[in-house]
Amino acid sequence: MPNLLDVARLVLPLVTGIVVGYFLREKKRLNLGKIISGIILVLIFSLGFTMGSNGELLAVMPNVGVTTIVLLAMALFFSILFVKAARKLVRI
Amino acid sequence: MKYILAALAIGVLAGYVNNNFGFPSLNTVISDYAFNLSLIALLFFMGVLFGADKEALAKLRKTGFKILAFPSAIALGSIIGGLVGGILLGTNVFASMGVCAGYGWYTLTGPLAGQLFGLEWGAIGFTVNFLREITTIVTISVARKIDKYAPVAMGGATAMDTTLPVIVRYCGQDTLITAFSSGFTLTIIAPFAITTIAALAH
Repeated sequence: MPNLLDVARLVLPLVTGIVVGYFLREKKRLNLGKIISGIILVLIFSLGFTMGSNGELLAVMPNVGVTTIVLLAMALFFSILFVKAARKLVRI
Repeated sequence: MKYILAALAIGVLAGYVNNNFGFPSLNTVISDYAFNLSLIALLFFMGVLFGADKEALAKLRKTGFKILAFPSAIALGSIIGGLVGGILLGTNVFASMGVCAGYGWYTLTGPLAGQLFGLEWGAIGFTVNFLREITTIVTISVARKIDKYAPVAMGGATAMDTTLPVIVRYCGQDTLITAFSSGFTLTIIAPFAITTIAALAH
């Protein structure tokens, strides 16, 4: 189960980053694209590694498919529905 | 995107092989240190990008308050979708809401959900949001007939970068600012929404 410490540990770097970025505004163009892409690859590789090394997880993976499809369908359906409603409401 | 799928596949394979034939200590190094450090670094650098980007904020301000109706509706719709889906499936509704609150940002939601709700939800978080991006691109010619802004809703956070060119091409140049600012706002909201939902679960 998540605890507040986990949450703080993740929000802290994001907020710190925003503050640091704000002060770096006047510097010449930041080129973080490559760094971020590299980090994403490391992150996704370690996520895959953790999943692959977990035998129990691999066993339940076939059941994950149904959950994925239902959640995706619901998220998309309600997003479109709410956007339609919002457009009527604010007249865009 | 190709590289990301390859990294995931190679990671799963490497983890499987290592678990069965390799060194257990490597598990700790990669699953704990590499995973956590790269997640924290990603959040930090995303923050730096937002903080440093004058134009993005200016664009957002220019379109005014009304434009926030879109990301708010999409954020709310996605989370309610997660709630309804979670109830239908009879599963952990906080985890299902958290996963849907990634708004298509799969590189963040997968690892974050894995960390906060358990590894199985990490896998679900990755696939739900990855497929959200793919579905937006693949179904766009049909979706725009439902509503001009349906693809913006479907794209979620990805409407500011990966799905933006496709949305503008199929839904018109005038959707550019709306799509971008919606995606931009959702990208900022996503990590906070996921972690807040996780905190509520606790």
